[in-house]
Amino acid sequence: MLKIDLKKLKIEAQKSLKSAKNLKDLDGVFRSYFGKKGEITQAFNLIKDMSKEVRAKFGKDLNNLKRFIEKSIEGKKAIFTKVVPGKEWLDVTAPGKKLSLGHLHPLTVTIRKAIEIFQEMGFTVVEGPEIENEFYNFDALNVPPDHPARDLWDTFWLKDGKMLLRTHTSPVQIHYMEKNNPPLRIIAPGRVFRYEATDASHDVQFYHLEGLMVGKTISVANFIAIIQEFFSRFFGKEVKVRLRPSYFPFVEPGFEVDMSCLTCGGLGCSVCKKTGWLEIMGAGMVHPNVYNACAINSKEWQGFAFGIGLDRLAMMKYKINDIRLFYSGDLRFLEQF
Amino acid sequence: MKFSYNWLQSFFKEKLPKPEKLADILTMHSFEVESVVKKGNDFILDIDILPNRSQDCFSYQGLAREVGALLNKKPKKLEQEKLLVEKGGLEPVKIEVRSSSIIPRYTAILIEGIKIKKSPDWLKNNLEAVGIRSINNIVDLTNWIMLETGQPLHAFDYDKIFGKKMVVRMARAGERVITLDEKTHKLDDGAIIIEDQERLIDLAGIMGGKVSEVTNETKSIILQAANFDRRSIYITAKKLNQKTQASDIYSQGVDPNLTKPALERAYFLLNKLGGGKIRQVVDIYPKKIKSRKIKINIGYFSSLLGREIPVKRITDILESLEFKVKQIKSDLIVEIPTFRADINLGEDLVEEVGRVYGYEAIKPFFPVSSLIPPKRNINLFWENKAKDALKEAGFNEVYNYSFFGDKEAESFGYNPQELIEIKNPANIEQKYLRATLIPNLLKNVQKNQDLNFKEISIFELGKIFIKKGLAEKRMLSGLVSTIQNKKNEGFYEVKGVVETLLNKLGVADVWYDEFKATPEDTKNTIWNRKKCAEIKSSQEEIGFLGEITQTIRKKLEVPENVFVFDLDFEKLSKLASEEQEYRPISQYPSAIRDLAILVPQNVKVDDVLNIMEQAGGKLVIDIDLFDMYEGENLPDGKKNLAFHIIYQAEDRTLKSNEINKLHQKIVKALEKNPEWEVRC
Repeated sequence: MLKIDLKKLKIEAQKSLKSAKNLKDLDGVFRSYFGKKGEITQAFNLIKDMSKEVRAKFGKDLNNLKRFIEKSIEGKKAIFTKVVPGKEWLDVTAPGKKLSLGHLHPLTVTIRKAIEIFQEMGFTVVEGPEIENEFYNFDALNVPPDHPARDLWDTFWLKDGKMLLRTHTSPVQIHYMEKNNPPLRIIAPGRVFRYEATDASHDVQFYHLEGLMVGKTISVANFIAIIQEFFSRFFGKEVKVRLRPSYFPFVEPGFEVDMSCLTCGGLGCSVCKKTGWLEIMGAGMVHPNVYNACAINSKEWQGFAFGIGLDRLAMMKYKINDIRLFYSGDLRFLEQF
Repeated sequence: MKFSYNWLQSFFKEKLPKPEKLADILTMHSFEVESVVKKGNDFILDIDILPNRSQDCFSYQGLAREVGALLNKKPKKLEQEKLLVEKGGLEPVKIEVRSSSIIPRYTAILIEGIKIKKSPDWLKNNLEAVGIRSINNIVDLTNWIMLETGQPLHAFDYDKIFGKKMVVRMARAGERVITLDEKTHKLDDGAIIIEDQERLIDLAGIMGGKVSEVTNETKSIILQAANFDRRSIYITAKKLNQKTQASDIYSQGVDPNLTKPALERAYFLLNKLGGGKIRQVVDIYPKKIKSRKIKINIGYFSSLLGREIPVKRITDILESLEFKVKQIKSDLIVEIPTFRADINLGEDLVEEVGRVYGYEAIKPFFPVSSLIPPKRNINLFWENKAKDALKEAGFNEVYNYSFFGDKEAESFGYNPQELIEIKNPANIEQKYLRATLIPNLLKNVQKNQDLNFKEISIFELGKIFIKKGLAEKRMLSGLVSTIQNKKNEGFYEVKGVVETLLNKLGVADVWYDEFKATPEDTKNTIWNRKKCAEIKSSQEEIGFLGEITQTIRKKLEVPENVFVFDLDFEKLSKLASEEQEYRPISQYPSAIRDLAILVPQNVKVDDVLNIMEQAGGKLVIDIDLFDMYEGENLPDGKKNLAFHIIYQAEDRTLKSNEINKLHQKIVKALEKNPEWEVRC
């Protein structure tokens, strides 16, 4: 029968505990005694083969030893796990590692958001060329040649010939209506150009979102509902709109659309010049001449069209004070979005 | 146009609402009032008369009519004096109108015995309140009538008309006229002029001629109230860059029926300013303009507005605007006065009723229509996908101007004839439409390095413009600019980005070729030929990547280490695919063995990889180049390539001797080339 000297075991245990330098060593010590083939485990296995008188004493000593080793390991463990400043201590208040993330342009974010809202209301997104001729940019939109109305759109012209850079995305309406029959529900976001002096709120290029909805009974009341919904969702708060008479040759009646001030909610503040309203876009009911230009029967169909300046929308949403920042390529600006 | 509140008040017996209140009412129902400014005991309203209403509302009479309709008050009629000729006196002037389509009506009176003097205070003050300098009683009278009625008047000095003859006609190209401001204008055949027996005496509709000017010595005048073709005046004023209030009014079109009442009003006022005797009245008006009638279904008002308005209210509104309304069953027959040439259609009447009634009374409701799901826009889908992929790769998106200038054109080797030039550029840096996105991206680098950004990764997805056929196409271009560029890291970084991007877009069979062919849309001169790759999918070229030449860098003051990619996005979105299939993960473990090989510098990694893949067969599932080194400790002209080779079978665990055998096979295949040396 295998004999086990518990005294010797105790001395060895003390030795190996002393030489344990870290938690890993300590774990090794633990396993060498309490693992499947550990010394203490094996010693317990012997008990069943012992005679009664030996068994009692041996059992008692073995249990004492077991408790002793366990206690010693626990004690040592406490030492190892104690936080010592300057050694394994870490400063949780130091900033996290900076990741170099990419950023989408704020206008991309704005356009996506606008598209998402209109798509949810059943509008299809369509596009068109940036170089246009006079027919699509003006004539078909009921802006006659040699009419002061054309002066409302300061136009860039190409050097040879009569082509121009579109001054709005309204020509997309015409392209679309030439090929598609009502009912229609489209938006056309895109880059447009105006020949004008630049300042904090004007630039030679900007983004427009043209909308068009045509049906049998589409009315001004429908337009207000749709556009109020759009602004409320876009700005994430309840927004009211009001219409004022205005003139755009391609609509009749034509409106200037005001939106309740985002800052004061309509009470009047410095942002809205105490009026409670912000001028936000032009709109109206599609002019019969526009339908005629696209071979659509104006007696049968009616609807609304509108044009929103997306740069202005982004400026309002993010409180950007200069439109030229969008086209500056300045990373101090772009990395904020 | 600036309006005096007091002057406007003079049209009404009852008191008008306070200026601010009136401004609000006008803004909501007619025209935006830009400002209300107190001036002495008057207020000046700056009203933005809409272009289609300038014909009737560029005048106090018109605005009073408008205000009357909004407030339901009837404005007073202007006092007039009949134009009665008193016989005797001066020799009449022979007036001839050559083109009645360009000069629909010409009305004038000859007045003898006027006295030029200072204007009385009421006239002087009212004009000055709205910014018109007082000159003398006659000139002030013509301005007053123009403001009051909207009909421009002009006074000629009778004694300065040679031969007592006036011909109103189109100018002949090259004719010259000196206007009141002493400018000489060389005319073309679109202008309208008035000529006496010897010379041009008037640039009609725009400004009077110097030679027939009314001065302190003037005793008799021809007072003209003419109607001219709006197009002719508009084009001429624009061409000559000679805009006046009269030309602005004429450009919008004036009611031909206004000439006579305006002269009758002028004569009435003239009698208060010293008077004079009418010796001649001329009114050449061959084709009288009559009022039009529009038929409209009553239901159309509520259908278009989305609000029920009682027919009585509709009729009242139209009548307050001086329209005549007759109801026949469910239709209204509306007679439009000739001063409202802007009203041509039923829709125009809906607007009149809608705005006077008030748009704020329209309650919004959603349209009722069939559920037609919006069409998917595939262009936009791929744009979004590409932008997101680049953003995830740490790139910042920029939007640049669609233009560039001579400097960029020249640096990139464009001949101006190859570019689309803008006739009226905003500035010289925006002279051409951009034919590539790269120059503006390089400018972004320059700018941001000045702002202390050291590592710059940017891209733009935008249109470029091609002269041939004035075509537009979308390009996706970007760049990486780093301070240090060990071992051409920049090149491989950009290549890695392009690979990831194409992978995300599902573009298949992508490979990179050394620069050879002449690229169709990218100027080949821009790339450093030694550090540039042509990106291909199958046999199609889809773009380029690499370093731009030193010459361009220096010209555009761009620092070193800029690596660029330039992708044809139209092609990309055609090649892109959403198809993706899951590849089952092998249940058996993979093993990795490393291999380093010393090869001559000009050997392509692609060639080494091909040999390894062929020798390895299908049990080699991936080979990964993890180091490429040349320089110290290596023989001259050599480079060291180090690979991880990953072995795995789909149906079993590979045994180590099987792997060793395969690995040796690869080593042998590589060493077939005597200059290649496998090092481990």
